[in-house]
Parts: sequence; C-alpha cells; structure tokens
Amino acid sequence: MTATAARPAAVPLGPPPSMVVKKFVSRVLFYVVIALLLVFFMLPMLWIVLAPFDASPSLTIKLPDFSTGNFSELWHNPYALRSLLNALIISLGTMALVLVFGALASYALSRVRVPGRDALLYALLLLSSIVSGTAAMVPIFLLMTNVHLIDSQLGVVLVMTGGLLPAAIFILKDFMDATPRSYEESAKVFGASPLQILRHVVIPIARPGLATIAVWALVNAWGNFLVPFILLRSADKYPAAVVMYTFYTEGGQPKLGLISAFSLMYSIPVVIAYLVVSRRYGFRFHGGIKS
Amino acid sequence: MARIILDTLSKQYPNGVLAVDALDLTIADGEFFALLGPSGCGKTTLLRTVAGLENATGGRLLSDDRDVTHLPPGKRDIAMVFQDYALFPHMDVADNIAYPLRIRGEHRTQRRAKALETGTGLGLENLMDRRPGQLSGGQQQRVALARAMACQPSVFLFDEPLSNLDARLRLEARTFLKKLQKDLGVTTIFVTHDQAEALAMADRMAVMELGKIRQVGTPAEVFHRPANTFVANFIGSAPMNLLAGETADDGLRIGGFTVPFPHDSPRLPPGTPVTLGARPEYVDVVGTSTPGAMAGTVTIVEYLGATALVSVQIGDERVPDGADPVLGLTVQAMVAEGTEPQIGARIGVTHQPNRSLLYAADTGDLVSGTGSGTGSGTGSGIPGSTAATVSTTP
Ligand SMILES: Nc1ncnc2c1ncn2[C@@H]1O[C@H](COP(=O)(O)OP(=O)(O)OP(=O)(O)O)[C@@H](O)[C@H]1O
Ligand SMILES: [Mg+2]
Repeated sequence: MTATAARPAAVPLGPPPSMVVKKFVSRVLFYVVIALLLVFFMLPMLWIVLAPFDASPSLTIKLPDFSTGNFSELWHNPYALRSLLNALIISLGTMALVLVFGALASYALSRVRVPGRDALLYALLLLSSIVSGTAAMVPIFLLMTNVHLIDSQLGVVLVMTGGLLPAAIFILKDFMDATPRSYEESAKVFGASPLQILRHVVIPIARPGLATIAVWALVNAWGNFLVPFILLRSADKYPAAVVMYTFYTEGGQPKLGLISAFSLMYSIPVVIAYLVVSRRYGFRFHGGIKS
Repeated sequence: MARIILDTLSKQYPNGVLAVDALDLTIADGEFFALLGPSGCGKTTLLRTVAGLENATGGRLLSDDRDVTHLPPGKRDIAMVFQDYALFPHMDVADNIAYPLRIRGEHRTQRRAKALETGTGLGLENLMDRRPGQLSGGQQQRVALARAMACQPSVFLFDEPLSNLDARLRLEARTFLKKLQKDLGVTTIFVTHDQAEALAMADRMAVMELGKIRQVGTPAEVFHRPANTFVANFIGSAPMNLLAGETADDGLRIGGFTVPFPHDSPRLPPGTPVTLGARPEYVDVVGTSTPGAMAGTVTIVEYLGATALVSVQIGDERVPDGADPVLGLTVQAMVAEGTEPQIGARIGVTHQPNRSLLYAADTGDLVSGTGSGTGSGTGSGIPGSTAATVSTTP
C-alpha cells in the first residue's frame, strides 16, 4: 500500500487512446462482416425449415402461416415417398459397395508394394471426377445399355460406386498406412488368417475412417441427380433428387409447397447420418491411432 | 518347450542387405537365450525369420527336428512380444490377452476366464477392463507377456521387451522376466542391444556383428573370455582396455613400457603385433616406478557410486589428438570409491596377468586366455593368427 501511495498517479501502460479506438472499430467491422456472411448462408436453411409449414409458401422468408398441408400433399403424391425409399436403397447400396471395395483395396495398396502405386492412385483420383461426371455420361449410358443395366437401380449404384471409389481408396489408404504393421504381425504370429487380421485388427482400427467414408458416400449418392436421371427410365424407380425435379405445375411453375416440404424430408437423413458419425468417431479424413 | 536349430540360416533383403549371414546356432530346450549386438547387426531380422515373419533366403530352421523353415508363423508354435508390444488399441486387456484363444475358436466366456487367470499371474487382475492406452509402459509389457503366455507356445521370442521402460522399471522387469521364464521353462530368444541386460538375464548369449555371430557362450564365458576384440569392446559396463603393442622376449611392449604377458599366452615370435585386453575392473593403480607398470597422467575421473572409472593417458606427455579411440594409449582403471587419484596426477597402472587376454592385432581374434584351461580356443588360435600376423608384417 505505502509503495503504491508513494508512486505518482498511475499512468496507463496500454497503447495510446487513438489506437484503442482503431482496434475497437476494426473489431466491430469484422463482426458485422461475419454476421452478414452468416445471414447470407443461413437464409436458404431458414427457408427450408420455415417454408414447409407455410400454407402458401413463396421464395421470401416470412413467419409461416402455419399449416401441415404441404406434408399431406406430399403424402398423397404418388412418387414422393417412394422416391425417398429409392434414394435410400441406392445410397445404402453405394455406401456398402464403396466401403467393402474401398477397405479391401486400400488395405492391399497400403501393404503390398506395387510399382507405380502412388501414380496409379493419383490417376484414378483424377479420372474419377470424370467417370461419374457429366463428360462421361454418354459413354456410360452406352456402356450400361450394352450390359442391360439401363433403368435398373443396380446400374446406378455401380456407376456411382465407380465414381466414389478412387477418392475413398485414397482416404482409406491413409488410415491403413497409419496402422502399425506390428499389430498385424502380432496377430499373424498367433495364427490369424489374412481375413481374420482384417476383421479383428485392421477394420476396427480404421473404423473412424470407414465411418467417415460411409457418410461421405451416402451423402454423395443421396444427392446425385445426374446419374439416376440419365440411367433410370421408370418414374417409380427415381430417387428423391430426380423426383424433386418433377414438382412443377402443368404451367411450369414450381410447386413451392411440395418442394419445400420434400426438401426438408430430403435433408433430414443426411443430417442424422452426419451427427451419428461425428458423435461416435469425430469426422476425420486422416489416419492415426489415438491410444 | 522345443530346441531351436539354425542351420546356415540366411536372410537377404530384396535391396541386397544380408542381414543374417549363414548362421549356425543351437538353442537348447528351456534355455533363455540372448541375441546381443549393436544397432543394425540383424538381431530383429533373425528373430523375425525365426518367427516366420521374414522368409529365410537360405539354410534351414528346425524346431525339435521338425523343419519349420517354410511354415507360416501361425504354425510354428511360437509367441512373439514386439518392441512396441503391439497391443490392439481397440480391445481391452482381457480381449488382448485372450486373442490367441479367439483365433483357436474358443468360446468367449471361456476365453475371458483364461485371460483373467493368466493376467492374475502377472498382477493384471484389476486392469482387465482397461484399454492399452490407459496403461503404463510396465503394465503394457505385462499384458503383452500375458498374451504371449496365453497361447502356451513352445518358444517365446522377445524383441527388446524392456527398451520402452524407464531405467528403474527395467531392472524390476529384468528380474521378473527371468523368474517368469524359469517358472514356465519355455525356450526363449531375447533380443537386446544392452549388454548388461544380456549378461544379467541370459543362460547363454550370442554376440552379433553385421549379420554374423561373433561369439556364443554363457554370460560368464563371454565376459571373461571375449573371443575377439569386437566382443571385448562391446561387453562390460566400461569397455575393455585394448592396448596395441608387440611381443618381446621379456614381455609386451606397449607405449614404450614393458608389461608382463597374460598367463597362458602362447610363445609368439618377438615383434609380433598384438592387442592386450584388460578390463578396467582388473587394472590396478600403482606407483609410477612399480615394475611392469605403465606410467601416465590421470585425465578423467568418472564417479560411478561405489567405484570410480579413472582414465590414464600413458606416456610422459599427453598423447597428441587423433589417437585411436579403441586401441589408443588410454588405460581405464576401475578403483574403489575414495581411492581415486586426482586429475593430472602421475600414476602407474598394471594389468592382472591372470585376468587379461591377448588378441592378434590384425584379425582381432583371441590368442590366449585366462584360467579355465580348456584351451580349445587358444589352441586353434595360435597357428592361424601367428601366420596371418607374420604375413602382413611389412
Ligand atoms: N525391411 C527391410 N528391408 C531392407 N533392409 C532392411 C529391412 N529391415 C532391416 N533392414 C536392414 O537389415 C539390417 C539389420 O536390421 P535389423 O533391424 O535386423 O537390425 P537390429 O539388429 O534389430 O538393429 P536395432 O538394434 O537397431 O533394432 C540393417 O542394415 C537394416 O538396415
Ligand atoms: Mg531391432
């Protein structure tokens, strides 16, 4: 106390006032920009949760004139629910194939020395965006016609699997690489067969990677419009992404009520899948063992 | 419980490295055998070849007269403990220990019961539900041991099992492991680069260098009669003094001094270049004018607890820089605590002729030795090394 009293009046040691103001202003500006950006990206999401409950939805965001009419209309639409089921079949099928082949291929590529392995992986990765992309649609259509997989969901699943596999292998290989070989060797010394090693050791350790790939494949297949649109003929096989495209009046006006309600239904499974995986494993795109 | 026989076993990696070079070795049933050597000498490779994780590129491997050279690892009736323990991070301790039983298709409840039984023997009974990540290094090591024991193999292979433990724990684990091995009576091959560990634990040991075995014997044999200067330099808490000199009629000429021959030395022609090997423990500090002593200046005194390691630069002056670190003229002596001389003091050092050895200067092989009088190594050593010595003398 005496020491403090002996000193002259406390001089603020911080920066001079002009700098404090400058800092304050720049901070305010920063938050304003962030807020604007946030609103910009939030608007479509707000629309998706508000519009479905509006008796007469429009493209503006407003507090809904509450009604569940849109949903009952959806319920009576001959294709809507069916298409959600189709989407589920297609995306679960794609997910399963991507997981099985991705896990086996990435394990093999991680463990066996193949000359030019990395070049091969990069080439596949590069080409994969073409395989399921727009550019290759005509050859893919011809190919599927010739193997009689046009208008079949299996065909859609196979094409989408082909498109997703390279990236899946690429990411999974990183997880496999991060699993020390001594785990497998230890199992091997105890007499485990290669398949047992994969089941007991490798897959459990790579599980966070597999979960990430599962959701990623699911979401990709769920949202893919082009492949099913081109490869499927009958409306009762269309997945949700394609059916949404048909919600127009005869006059070409979008049926906003139907579209918004359907959009909401369409987004929910993806959000749930993401939450489940993120909860259990955390979302990771790189390998590594936490022990 | 098996005898392991290596018959000119070789392993060459695809990149051309000959990591195991035509080794012949027999490991007796129930023996605790240590493989010792500096980093990169091929210890791990040899162990992995015995385990079947590497394919031998030459020779045969027998287990109780059964040729197992080309059997897959799972069929060799062995268990291996890896240096990083390789405990499965996603299984708890009980499942880890029971993993070999799972491969054999035993029922889950039976497996867990057996795992608990094995784990209890190693003091793990309260940790059975933990994941490996929640265990200390020593506990992980015991889980790895328990897992190896659970499959009741006839051979254990350990790759540096103690190197992840801190110094204190390592001493405890050493005693524990040795006792465990004696209780189980399972043939064990044990890799280490720590000579003290090998001396302390092994029934017999092999010292390796560059894929070859330089000496096989009991720890006492290897410690007292290193077969060559490589082993002599590698074994012992302080390396053996290896002093270059040449023979004369009345003794060995070393750094201008004449010291007595080690006992049991063969008659060598005067002027033969040789290396005298004397352990610091068997070097005495005496007065500078004592007969048979080498005089020099104390340069370093390292305090080791009950003893101190004294480095003495032989000669009147300090030897110029760049002297050969192994065969140079520094003599180290181990003295009792409290009797160590001052740095800079002029003292004499004598070797104990009954405990020192003579090596050929060129091959580094043992020419003579102390005590036991078996003389087999000595007998084969003399003519060859003498001839070689003469032929290379300019
Ligand atoms: N997979 C491999 N491919 C090629 N060469 C290898 C391989 N593994 C080891 N080597 C080489 O073989 C030799 C012996 O290696 P090894 O791992 O057996 O040595 P080590 O005695 O166990 O050494 P450390 O004490 O460091 O573990 C070394 O020269 C090493 O570089
Ligand atoms: Mg090693």
